[in-house]
Amino acid sequence: MRRKGLTGMSFSSAQYILRETLNSLKRNPWLSVASIVTVMVSLVILGFSAFFLANASNMANMFESQVEIAAFVQTNLSQSEVLALEDRIKSMPQVASVELVTKDQALLEFGQSLGGKKGDLLSDLGGTNPLPDKLTVKANDPQEVVGLAAELTKLPGLETVSYGQGVVDKLLPFTRWLRWLGAVVVGAFTVASLVLISINIKMNVFSRRREIQIMKLVGASNWFIRWPFLVEGLILGWVGGILAALIVGLGYRWLADYVQMTLAFLPMVQSSALFWQVLVGLILAGMAIGAVGSAFSLRKFLRV
Amino acid sequence: MIQLNNVTKIYPNGAKALVDINLRISKGEFVFLVGPSGAGKSTLVRLLFREEVPTRGQVTLNGRNLVRMREREVPLLRRTIGVIFQDFKLLPNKTVMENAGFALEVLGVPAKEVQARTRSALDMVGLSHKTRAFPGELSGGEQQRVCVARAIINNPALLVADEPTGNLDPETAWEIMDLLYNINKRGTTVVMATHAKDIVNQMKKRVIAIEKGRIARDEEKGAYGYEL
Repeated sequence: MRRKGLTGMSFSSAQYILRETLNSLKRNPWLSVASIVTVMVSLVILGFSAFFLANASNMANMFESQVEIAAFVQTNLSQSEVLALEDRIKSMPQVASVELVTKDQALLEFGQSLGGKKGDLLSDLGGTNPLPDKLTVKANDPQEVVGLAAELTKLPGLETVSYGQGVVDKLLPFTRWLRWLGAVVVGAFTVASLVLISINIKMNVFSRRREIQIMKLVGASNWFIRWPFLVEGLILGWVGGILAALIVGLGYRWLADYVQMTLAFLPMVQSSALFWQVLVGLILAGMAIGAVGSAFSLRKFLRV
Repeated sequence: MIQLNNVTKIYPNGAKALVDINLRISKGEFVFLVGPSGAGKSTLVRLLFREEVPTRGQVTLNGRNLVRMREREVPLLRRTIGVIFQDFKLLPNKTVMENAGFALEVLGVPAKEVQARTRSALDMVGLSHKTRAFPGELSGGEQQRVCVARAIINNPALLVADEPTGNLDPETAWEIMDLLYNINKRGTTVVMATHAKDIVNQMKKRVIAIEKGRIARDEEKGAYGYEL
């Protein structure tokens, strides 16, 4: 008796499976083409929506990273009191960073912006600096800025707290919405792709149900029947994935260049790591969809 | 060898195909199952290679309980049973050689051995000159011979045939019966559901008549007993 593993494979079985896979591809070339095109179209849509999501979230991050809170310190505080205040804000859990802009620095910047020399402005002001020390606070999560600002207002020693109220109040819902939209688009197209592909695989399995029935009747194990379909699905998904990666890759490059020339203010994600991740992801997704989809569609026909 | 105890089969649509069947078939027997269409012959045949499982009762084959058998043991069971159908169930895009050797190929038998054993099986059914033909190029009788070759290639202990001559003219039918007769002579148990009155009457083998899902008659060296 020949020893076999869980999957019922032996060397001649492996040969048989490869031969069967090739035969099936040769026998139904149009079904194979249809499967490849389906996988390809689905993955192209998926790939572009992945880039859309990346860009939407990148844009949201960029907008949000510009949100900061300016907390002005009361002028009667001593330098050590200011430093203590800075430390206290730093220790708050929602705070990402605190930067102290002293009144001297502020005056210097102000003076430079007026185009004067260092000492001039101070002497013009009669030797006293009217500007307050400023603490620039960034939140861990920009969505928490409003709450953080309210808490800062309660701290003793701070004069005014401002975070560009009008703009932020509109920006934050917008970025949240942008991320949601990206995720929904990707989710919807993932589902649509899976449905399309599974219909295609079912057609392929259905066209061979007679063969499957006979294999069952002569005592083929379920895995023996499954393997050729798995390998076929894997190959078709791989080819479809490669085509999709090519289209998405070239298409995105072209689109990014085009956007940068015409709409320079719209930042496109140009990270090459992300670029390759998406493309490799598409190929792997194609293979996985092909193989898993085949196995899944077979289940009904294996119950003879 | 085959034992059915109080077997009842009710299909999901409520049809009672078999009712309280008790039956024992010994090794080496040749048994005809006769009866009107829809009496339950095919259901009984399908119980033997576990294409169906009874609703109640037990089916035992060579000491193995087919009802309690686990799903993954079913392929192992079927490798010990040859099955012949009225519609042959050949794969149209495979040659005679490939069709007959299919039962070995799915077991992972090395290609050389498949070839040798398929050749001798095709020899036995008298088709060694048509190994490269496709089923579509063969007559009905020849197609059924391929099916017989595929069924016996594993040297099964049991050969089950569901109206194997149903699609054949009388002369060709007798050629197939000769094959089955010889296979039985070599020790294989044969169970055959059929409507072929002349064949049953002339072979003088055990006849089990099934009517409305029950055994109506069970005779050694019996006759068909129905007027068509």
